[in-house]
Amino acid sequence: MRKYAISDSQLISQYKNGNEDAFTELVNRHKNKIYTTIYLIVKDTYLAEDLLQETYVKVVNTIKSGRYNEEGKFLPWVTRIAHNLAIDHFRKAKRYPMIVMEDGSNIFNTLEFSEDSIESRKIQQDTHALLRDLIKELPDSQREVLMMRHYMQMSFQEIAEATDVSINTALGRMRYALINLRKKMTKLNIAYDQNLYPR
Amino acid sequence: MIKTFTQDDLIRYIYQETTAEESIEIETALIFDEALSDSYNELSRTVGLLKQVQVKPSEGTVDRILSYSKSYDLHALR
Repeated sequence: MRKYAISDSQLISQYKNGNEDAFTELVNRHKNKIYTTIYLIVKDTYLAEDLLQETYVKVVNTIKSGRYNEEGKFLPWVTRIAHNLAIDHFRKAKRYPMIVMEDGSNIFNTLEFSEDSIESRKIQQDTHALLRDLIKELPDSQREVLMMRHYMQMSFQEIAEATDVSINTALGRMRYALINLRKKMTKLNIAYDQNLYPR
Repeated sequence: MIKTFTQDDLIRYIYQETTAEESIEIETALIFDEALSDSYNELSRTVGLLKQVQVKPSEGTVDRILSYSKSYDLHALR
């Protein structure tokens, strides 16, 4: 997990004491990850934006009313809220996530790059858009584990408990998700150029 | 004797869920086990790509969130 000079817990303490700049930092720190979590479920940018706002309304209400007690685990807490709101939306609308390819025309694809050539940026954008589509094509159980671990920052033990399976099953699903993504990208001849994807 | 590890162990290692002792054992195994090393490279490259796959919300949405927080006390008073 990325280390910050000021932890999420410290920012929340400051926010509770009335520091709105602390909240701004907290939002900006995690907004992409939370938004991506929602987007990969609902597959609609406008809906994802609305649900992101609903998520943070709950966050603000909980923290400002003194009910927040997820010490040290802000990101898993808020991504669970986001995840549940997205799933609830589908239950209410009696719709279920369709596994379809996107045409790319309605994606807020604003990934940031620095000092890259136009061509390499285009290659990266196309690859990232394709990878998002491939994630959406994964079997539900694999996509769920991948999202919970990678975007919601839950541990494999927490994922196992949340999905009522053994930790070995959770790990196995993650393994299959990663292998399936790799196979599909290889099949589509997606380059794994390390110059384009620095670690 | 070098311990054998599975792909699931490698995934735990990539996501930093191994103990310090396990991490050292895996790192040692990666040096001597070419097949394990190949598996690790494949898995970590895919995870590396995932790290870059994020979409951003609009500035308008973020502004509305921040405005809601700033005006929370006004809502609460009603």
